Amino acid sequence: MDEKEKRKPTLFKQVLNGPLHVSGNFVIIDASGDKLDIKDEAWLCRCGGSSNKPFCDNTHKTIGVKD
Amino acid sequence: MDSGNREYSNKEITVFWQPSKCIHATSCYRDLIEVFNPRVRPWINIDGASTEKIIKVINSCPTDALTYKWIDPEKNKLASNEKNSKVKQALEYESKLNNEPVRIKVMADGPLVVQGVFTVLNSLGMELKAMSAVSFCRCGASDKMPYCDGQHRKIGFSSNDY
Repeated sequence: MDEKEKRKPTLFKQVLNGPLHVSGNFVIIDASGDKLDIKDEAWLCRCGGSSNKPFCDNTHKTIGVKD
Repeated sequence: MDSGNREYSNKEITVFWQPSKCIHATSCYRDLIEVFNPRVRPWINIDGASTEKIIKVINSCPTDALTYKWIDPEKNKLASNEKNSKVKQALEYESKLNNEPVRIKVMADGPLVVQGVFTVLNSLGMELKAMSAVSFCRCGASDKMPYCDGQHRKIGFSSNDY
């Protein structure tokens, strides 16, 4: 890992009425305890309705998020 | 799951607490109960005494369960040259923490539990108060968005992802 990669900050962004965007240096452990192999960024479901949890599948556009 | 590691800051220093390193020598609360009180939560009240007194007690801790760094980077530079100083230990701990990936644990029928060093921006792009561990809502019903407030239990959220 080079110096730049190490210092990349990890950022969570609440997307208005949408998912949670995460970028930087992170690992996701899913509800079954498995480590997911994700690189650089991910959009995580915040509306509760995604069929692809923990990821967003744009269901929020239909059901909305209480923001 | 939670390492229990915590940080407490006043205007001059940040105190780091790593419970796994504590050998219960009790020197901290015998000498300064106003700051280090294991009977209350949070157990460290950083505003309970002067910075000078707090540093004296941290230096008496036989392990690096308690360490501190100065908010002023210049002061850290001076202190980090001292062999085995508490500041040096704190800086080493912090640098290790900074290089570790942030851990996002997906809780079944519950929130995302996040630990590590990270920044949170709300939907207006405003940076929220920095914390080393948070839970993000996943059920869509929290009144404290983007954080979890326990609503998933009330609404009977089923994540169907386990």
